[in-house]
Amino acid sequence: MSESDPGKFSMIDSPALSTPTTRNWPALAELRRRLAGRWVFALLLVTGCGVLTLLVLAPLYTLLSKSVESKAGDFVGLENFAHYLSTGGIESAFFNSLWVAGLSTVIVVSLAFMAAWALTRTRLPITGWIRGVLVLPILAPSLLPAISLVYLFGNQGVLKSWLFGAEIYGPIGIIMGSCFWTFPHALMILLTAMDNADGRHYEAATALKASPWRTFWTVTVPGARYGLVSAGFVVFTLVITDFGVPKVIGGQFDVLATDIYKQVIGQQKFEMGAVVSVLLLLPAMLAFIADRYVQRKQSASFTARSVPYRPRQDRKRDALGALMLTPTVVFIFAIIGMAIYASFVTFWPYNLDLSLNNYQFGRMDGGGWGAYTNSLQMALGTMVLGTVLVFFNAWLMERTPQPKLLTGVFQFLSLLPLAVPGLVLGLSYIFFFNHPENPINGIYGTLFILILCTVTHFYAVSHLTAVTALKQLDQEFEAVGESLNASRWRVLFTVTLPLCLPAILDVALYLFVNAMTTVSAVVFLYGHDSQLASVAVLNMDEAGDIAPAAAMAILITVTCATAKLIQGLLRFWVDRSTRVWRQGTE
Amino acid sequence: MNQKTQGSRLEIQGVNKLFGDFCALKDINLTIEPGELVCFLGPSGCGKTTLLRIIAGLEHQSGGLLHQGETDISLKPPRERDFGIVFQSYALFPNMTVIDNIAYGLRSIGMPKAQIHSRVDELLALVGLEDQASKYPAQLSGGQQQRVALARALAPSPGLLLLDEPLSALDAKVRQHLRGEIRSLQKQLGVTTVMVTHDQEEALAMADRVVVMNNGVIEQVGTPLDIYQQPASAFVASFIGAMNFIDSAPLNGQRVKVGNRELDLVRPLPRAEGCIQLAIRPEDVHLLPSGDGEWEGEVQALDYLGAFIRTHIRLSDIELDLVVDVDPRSARRLDLRVGGCVCLNLPSDALHCFAA
Repeated sequence: MSESDPGKFSMIDSPALSTPTTRNWPALAELRRRLAGRWVFALLLVTGCGVLTLLVLAPLYTLLSKSVESKAGDFVGLENFAHYLSTGGIESAFFNSLWVAGLSTVIVVSLAFMAAWALTRTRLPITGWIRGVLVLPILAPSLLPAISLVYLFGNQGVLKSWLFGAEIYGPIGIIMGSCFWTFPHALMILLTAMDNADGRHYEAATALKASPWRTFWTVTVPGARYGLVSAGFVVFTLVITDFGVPKVIGGQFDVLATDIYKQVIGQQKFEMGAVVSVLLLLPAMLAFIADRYVQRKQSASFTARSVPYRPRQDRKRDALGALMLTPTVVFIFAIIGMAIYASFVTFWPYNLDLSLNNYQFGRMDGGGWGAYTNSLQMALGTMVLGTVLVFFNAWLMERTPQPKLLTGVFQFLSLLPLAVPGLVLGLSYIFFFNHPENPINGIYGTLFILILCTVTHFYAVSHLTAVTALKQLDQEFEAVGESLNASRWRVLFTVTLPLCLPAILDVALYLFVNAMTTVSAVVFLYGHDSQLASVAVLNMDEAGDIAPAAAMAILITVTCATAKLIQGLLRFWVDRSTRVWRQGTE
Repeated sequence: MNQKTQGSRLEIQGVNKLFGDFCALKDINLTIEPGELVCFLGPSGCGKTTLLRIIAGLEHQSGGLLHQGETDISLKPPRERDFGIVFQSYALFPNMTVIDNIAYGLRSIGMPKAQIHSRVDELLALVGLEDQASKYPAQLSGGQQQRVALARALAPSPGLLLLDEPLSALDAKVRQHLRGEIRSLQKQLGVTTVMVTHDQEEALAMADRVVVMNNGVIEQVGTPLDIYQQPASAFVASFIGAMNFIDSAPLNGQRVKVGNRELDLVRPLPRAEGCIQLAIRPEDVHLLPSGDGEWEGEVQALDYLGAFIRTHIRLSDIELDLVVDVDPRSARRLDLRVGGCVCLNLPSDALHCFAA
């Protein structure tokens, strides 16, 4: 029973209460028993809300309060903000962040739209492989493109002349690097929006004698408009909150994300870090709210009666599609290829012999192989804990009777992490969990807090995936189960979980990959014994060991690719062994 | 087949359901006898599905009582009630074979394996799916899936079977066939059955009694024949089958005035102030050759509907459009043509009257 009505706990109102039956003790006992059944589920979801409050809301609150406190902890109102303003922080970092993120968004969404068009509206061969290449960047830490760009266009870069004297260290580098790693996010949203086109719309346009150009503007673009808007908001948020790319290649160009890092790590000014965090939180929040608003307006245009669109054979159009895909594919290959090459070069640019020297992490600072195994443990922990937590909570919310208010609160708490930049989350974790009065401050500096933080950081998208999968199941499964004397738990284990297995695998991979590659949230939180591979990339780069940094970034990427491969094999196995009951064919 | 499970008696007393300010069900009182098949019939949004879900315990009444047999089930959760249910979507578990779907409820109650085995075989035979036993739902046709859902619901031998629009997802042909099959199965097992449908033909064909609902209230409860021949309200009259409505003014006694003519009625007039509505079924109007009847009209249109011809006739002196069903032979005899004149009588024993 999905549509849980509000006030279920107080139902059976006055008319029934005045009837003889409810005066009987057995009936009251029955009422109590039934409420008990419901209370268990509601109580579990309240617990879920509590956990998320502890992981998101409480730390955020501490951060906000820190931003209006002096270093000594006294309330100073907006003084910190005024101080940041007067030192020119707004003009430089805030506006720099805005325009860099804005421009990156325009470029990425345009490229992604072109690619999505080519992949869905032409009959190019090997589109499966092309899709695979185009989403490769998602497996790499955002530091990788920055390092690669240094090798390509930096002071000793192979293609330095291509910039006509312009510096890669600064906005150009940030934008190029950001475009690389945010591209797959935009592409996946647009592919989802454009894959399910209704072929009848195209036939109608043709029947009404519309030119291909007019069809494009009246059918294709309107069909993708929500995807375009959504991709825009997502890319904007990703770029403005990203820390890796501007840290490595930003040079003297200040953006909010690097500013927080400087204030906190460089100058130990935690309250100023909180101020910048609030400033970073604002655009991210706005983008999040706007995106939610747009999403709500969206309704499915692809109905059960739609006929999937199949592009016609058209050589000219295929050529155009190839033309649109080429720059992006070349760019992605160039960035990844350069990083791989650089990681094997013995001593750039003087000794170009290939060797494994850069992979001997034990010899450098930054944590060495220990950091890598820490990362693996952290990613596996995040994957297991996150997947269980996300699915269990989503199941409670979607498939058990819950008061509407509670599901509303839970939905809000689950999506909130989407609006909180990683750096902001990490900083607020310092304030919250490192507080001497916090009873669980013992976890500070351990792998466990890194796992908690990462689960929280990537909670929202996992939650949405889980909810989508759970919503697709027949709404009456639990009702049938109850009529057949089976508890919701039995239905969960015998029906719901087996049916959600593909989505569970997707969420697990998503959490693993992000835990391996993330820098922003964990950069404030790692301790001496919990250094991470992605942070090691950052630290080695900072120490000038840029080739080992590239090597570590490649190692992370290879690890993620392996995880993807394993997940792909598992999915293949699941799909094959369940094909009979999914499609009815053997 | 085997045991004739004694279906249980279901009593609904004063059930109300509020969704916020919206009153979905108002003071529903209904008794369903053991072994009976009752259809809840009404337009969408009339509350019929809500009532079914309240009976199942999937929805909670805002007030009122439910008794199944001697037990008060008003406050019981679905698991503690004794019913089987078939949904419009069937909600078959796609990851389980036909056997596992049917055995699901038997395993919940911890029935021994051997017994489950024989019970499943019994049900497979009952719904005629012995040869599909180890297939998955996705490999079955819609009609077969429907039967699996039915077998699954019947497996634990419930005293009450609830069917929520069970046939509406099927093709017309399959639907007709399954209609008869479900009905004979139900009679054979003697299970008390409540079925929700918006298809009047289905309700009339299958039900022992039909409960016609509208806007959250029961308009009429009766046998299919009652409902059709003695509609209790203008809504029932218009919802079931086709009906012509004629405005009229009551005179003294059993006389009413239509236009400038007076008619004697057989049925008692409803106690109503002012205008009353006369109603007559299209097949009850007598058509006569021009010049022979009381009323004269002009044929506006003829719809050939196979077994009969739906004739649209305009009575010009009272500005009334009537629909009359004529069999093809009479139509030929009367020489019905668009634009032609025809006479008709409104037999007083076929006239219903409702408060306007």
